[in-house]
Amino acid sequence: MERLEGPLEAAARTVLADARELQGVFLRALYWTARGRREPGEVARQCYEVGYRSAFFLSVTMGFIGMILVFQSGLQLLRVVPDLSQLGATFLELLVRDLGPTISAMMLATRVGAGIAAEIGSMVVTEQVDALRMCGVDPVDHLVVPRFIASMIMTVVLVMFSGLVSFAAGGATAWFVFDVQPLTYANFSLLDRGDLITGLAKCFAYGAAIPIVSGWCGLTTRGGSEGVGSATTSAVVNSSLAVIMLDLVISGVGFVVFV
Amino acid sequence: MIEVTNVWKRFAAPVLRDVTLRVPQGCLYGLIGPGAAGKSVLLKCLAGLLRPERGSVRIFGQAIESLDEVSLQAVRNRVGMLFQNNALFDHLTVAENIAFPLRRRGITDEAEIAARVADRLRAVSLPGFEQRLPGGLSGGQKKRVGVARATVTRADVVLYDEPAAGLDPVTSQKIFDLLRREQQEAGATVVMVSSDIDRLLTVTDRVGMMLDGALIFDGTTAEAQGSLHPVVKQFVHGEVDGPL
Repeated sequence: MERLEGPLEAAARTVLADARELQGVFLRALYWTARGRREPGEVARQCYEVGYRSAFFLSVTMGFIGMILVFQSGLQLLRVVPDLSQLGATFLELLVRDLGPTISAMMLATRVGAGIAAEIGSMVVTEQVDALRMCGVDPVDHLVVPRFIASMIMTVVLVMFSGLVSFAAGGATAWFVFDVQPLTYANFSLLDRGDLITGLAKCFAYGAAIPIVSGWCGLTTRGGSEGVGSATTSAVVNSSLAVIMLDLVISGVGFVVFV
Repeated sequence: MIEVTNVWKRFAAPVLRDVTLRVPQGCLYGLIGPGAAGKSVLLKCLAGLLRPERGSVRIFGQAIESLDEVSLQAVRNRVGMLFQNNALFDHLTVAENIAFPLRRRGITDEAEIAARVADRLRAVSLPGFEQRLPGGLSGGQKKRVGVARATVTRADVVLYDEPAAGLDPVTSQKIFDLLRREQQEAGATVVMVSSDIDRLLTVTDRVGMMLDGALIFDGTTAEAQGSLHPVVKQFVHGEVDGPL
């Protein structure tokens, strides 16, 4: 007699199938990154889309976050010790190791991830992806890989730039609110090799994860415009989840290796 | 040339049910049937874009349902396809759309590409449209660009999904005549899905009719026109009264 499948079993089967598909997209992206032919200027165009067009949004967000964090940290510190000389150093370590890459990546997941899923999803529902396959093109090679390469490059650049803006905005807050002098605030003493390597590893990991997850959401779009809407939402949710999970894993590894 | 044997495919419900079909080399095969009968799904199975759950699809003697994507590309290099929605690449011009399959097959000689694009545009009566974007074309023009792209590689097998959908009667007839001419000149094997039965039957060699995912008729065009099968008879002659 055939056994009936329970809802948990069905959900687990779906998650496993999705994970297999996602892994397939990732492996094909790696393969085509090494083997594929890029159309001239395509990666540069994607760098412009991912990087230049996100720079203002990211800088403003990270600037405000820098101000808020320094303000709140300063208030809390003053309750415990009346010494804010380590405010800049602590904030910088936190920014480089964790906050800079992770918050920037969450912002990128909303802007870039949604854009990738919507563009690829629209191509799926209008059969353009099938047309690509009929022209002898792997859609992952043609649509995901240029965004994958551009995202990895530009995430590093954007995190550095927006981190700088955040640190400077935090510095201005420390100066105006708590009278911490810029030279006291700009304290690099707590920053070590481990922080830099962990931060950089996160930039690359997030830069890779966002286009892969969003590309997969776009490529698995079903139906019409409603399907594109759901693919876009899934891309933002899943990319953000991927960022958080990678943050946990890389932070854990970083802690074990460097502390 | 094309052999489909006991093919089953389902999404939420079965869409292909035990379909068996053989299309001889050089034949123009028309696939007809009411909406949601499984015609487009069968066409996508022939192109290897969908995989059947059961059964076999053989093209050029090769069973394609078990091939991986890389091996499938070798088969698809010999197959052209016109999609129901044309599927033109929005960001490319008409010339770039038509040249796209050539470039992806490794043709790098720009003079040869330009000549073949110009030849295709002449064949579909759209000379001078090279630099236009798909967004600026009418439905009929998009369809003709789609035909030009599907035939530019001189594929051995060409699949057309609703080549005349949404076109006026004159343009429809022109498209069917063009497809027939193209097929005769290239000697290609063609499978064509169309709801425009009257015009389709003027160009086909053989006809298959699908209903609820099953192939209920397979024969020559004359046999289809003279069929006494109540469903085929009603559908081919467009009668209101009948089992459909």
